[in-house]
Amino acid sequence: MSPRAVVAALIVLALLSFPAWGSPYFVGRIFTPAFIFGVIALSLCLLAGYGGMVSLAQMTLAGLAGYGYGHLTVMQGQPWWVGILGGIVLATVVAFLFGLIAVRSSGIYFLMITLALGMVVYALANQNRSFFGGHTGILGIRPPELFGHALTERVPFYYLCLVVGLATYALVRYLARTPFGLALVALRDNPRRLAALGFHVALHRVTAFTLAGLLAGVGGLLLVWYNGAISPTTIDLTRLINIMVIAVIGGLMYAEGAFLGALVFVLVTNFASSFTQRFNTVIGLVFLATVLFSPEGLSGLGLRALAALQRILRVRFASAERAEMQ
Amino acid sequence: MTWPQFVTVTLNGLTLAALYFVVAIGFTLIFGVLRVVNLAHGSLYLFGGYVGWSVADRSGSWLLGALAAFLVAGLAGLVLELGLLRPLHGQDLREALVTIGVSIIAADLMLARWGGFTYDFSPPEAITGGVRIPVLGIGYPKYRLFVLAFALALGVVLWMVLSRTRLGITVRAAIDDRDIVAAVGIDVQRVFAAMFAIGAGLAGLAGVVGGSVLSISSGEDARYLLASLIVVIVGGMGSLPGTAVAAILVALVEQYSLALFATYAAIVSFLLMVLVLAVRPQGLFGRPA
Repeated sequence: MSPRAVVAALIVLALLSFPAWGSPYFVGRIFTPAFIFGVIALSLCLLAGYGGMVSLAQMTLAGLAGYGYGHLTVMQGQPWWVGILGGIVLATVVAFLFGLIAVRSSGIYFLMITLALGMVVYALANQNRSFFGGHTGILGIRPPELFGHALTERVPFYYLCLVVGLATYALVRYLARTPFGLALVALRDNPRRLAALGFHVALHRVTAFTLAGLLAGVGGLLLVWYNGAISPTTIDLTRLINIMVIAVIGGLMYAEGAFLGALVFVLVTNFASSFTQRFNTVIGLVFLATVLFSPEGLSGLGLRALAALQRILRVRFASAERAEMQ
Repeated sequence: MTWPQFVTVTLNGLTLAALYFVVAIGFTLIFGVLRVVNLAHGSLYLFGGYVGWSVADRSGSWLLGALAAFLVAGLAGLVLELGLLRPLHGQDLREALVTIGVSIIAADLMLARWGGFTYDFSPPEAITGGVRIPVLGIGYPKYRLFVLAFALALGVVLWMVLSRTRLGITVRAAIDDRDIVAAVGIDVQRVFAAMFAIGAGLAGLAGVVGGSVLSISSGEDARYLLASLIVVIVGGMGSLPGTAVAAILVALVEQYSLALFATYAAIVSFLLMVLVLAVRPQGLFGRPA
């Protein structure tokens, strides 16, 4: 087993057994939201890391899934499974449409257009009452119930979010090795050459964006169950940017980074708020420091540290081996 | 819609367009010259508004407040450019991310300093109150007409500066090809810094001018950032006429749709943006990237 596999197995084991030894506060209020925001940020990492498309609309797509679920279950009185389907479909379809609009641009243009699209949805949610419930949004959203228990009880919900987090992470890692994922990376690095090879560049991008929308939608469903309500505040400018902050702090180019960043983000917002009211300034400073000094985020730092450690170990083992041989 | 209603909505649209123009022109000039998407532009607007209000409140002079807003926001922009952005020049995305970070911190600090209150300006009496417009036969607030005149004057001045002065020629050349401008021996870094300061200052000035139409409060930064984004996406980045045309288009569409079907007004601005992007991805007056 490689050292990386050992580390990964240990982390999964620790996470699986966490409710048994972790404090309820950490299980319910730190790690659960960290997984949820991690899934949403993961959709950004998929787009940005592999496809080179830095989108600011991922929280909007997540929020739309939540709105879809809330609208169907609360306003229409449909059962939860209809809500789940409807929410996911809404997020995916809107992602497809956004993709169609945005993929012809790239780089900062893409960033600007997705930001504008996200903020237009925010404005719409604020104005429209019949679907979005206007300024107050949709209240009293109930999670699915299984065997008479609400899914959001602390421990089951922790496991649900953990499993969804692991599954989406595995999916993204798997995608990166499929021909589709490889083409996506190639397209990020040199779209012109890929077009010359006969790939449909725009179609690839739209597909990736739609897929990321689906991921964000899954995260959005978890989030709306966690919060029990949704309002335009959930998808306002600050929240859209938060997803970017999470992904950048963790490392925009790494799938692990989404979850790492989410954990740091939730920890900082929870603990900084206990000693200062200005925890957003703290978040902003951490984010700024990451962008300025470590563009690869915590994952980049971690990987560099790991590589350095391996080098040191290798040197030591190698010299020990030499000593034995003599 | 009745005739007086139609005239009022049209005038509202035009005065809103004037405001959008004043806000977005700084954004588009900064983008055109420096290739920086300044996502802290809304924060500069709000910052200018707050500073302007505070100065006007202490001194009793609205004009002094507007001047202070321009200078202080311009200074803030200069610090942002020289302190944070210059080391990253050429890395578009990181520069945009830095401005995001600044906007988070700025929003939080402004909330700490000025709180969640709403601040009302009191412009000089000469431009407040109502006026009867002779030909159209309706009454209309004087201040809104002042905003319209102000935007027109600003547009003309900027146009003259860009087309007639040495700075303007340098700036236009820098928009076209900044490497060549640097190669012929012009200190582009100074042009960049000056441009950033002017763009930021205009955002701050817009904070006072726009804040006086309604009022100023936290959250306005997001609203005017969105307005700037849509206007420059529709008009084309870095283009003065594009910004003017797009501001009029966006504001009129917004006001008409608000009057006709209020709950779906956001969709209409969205459709406008989509339409332009579908036909001309670089914006109405933009050049292909």
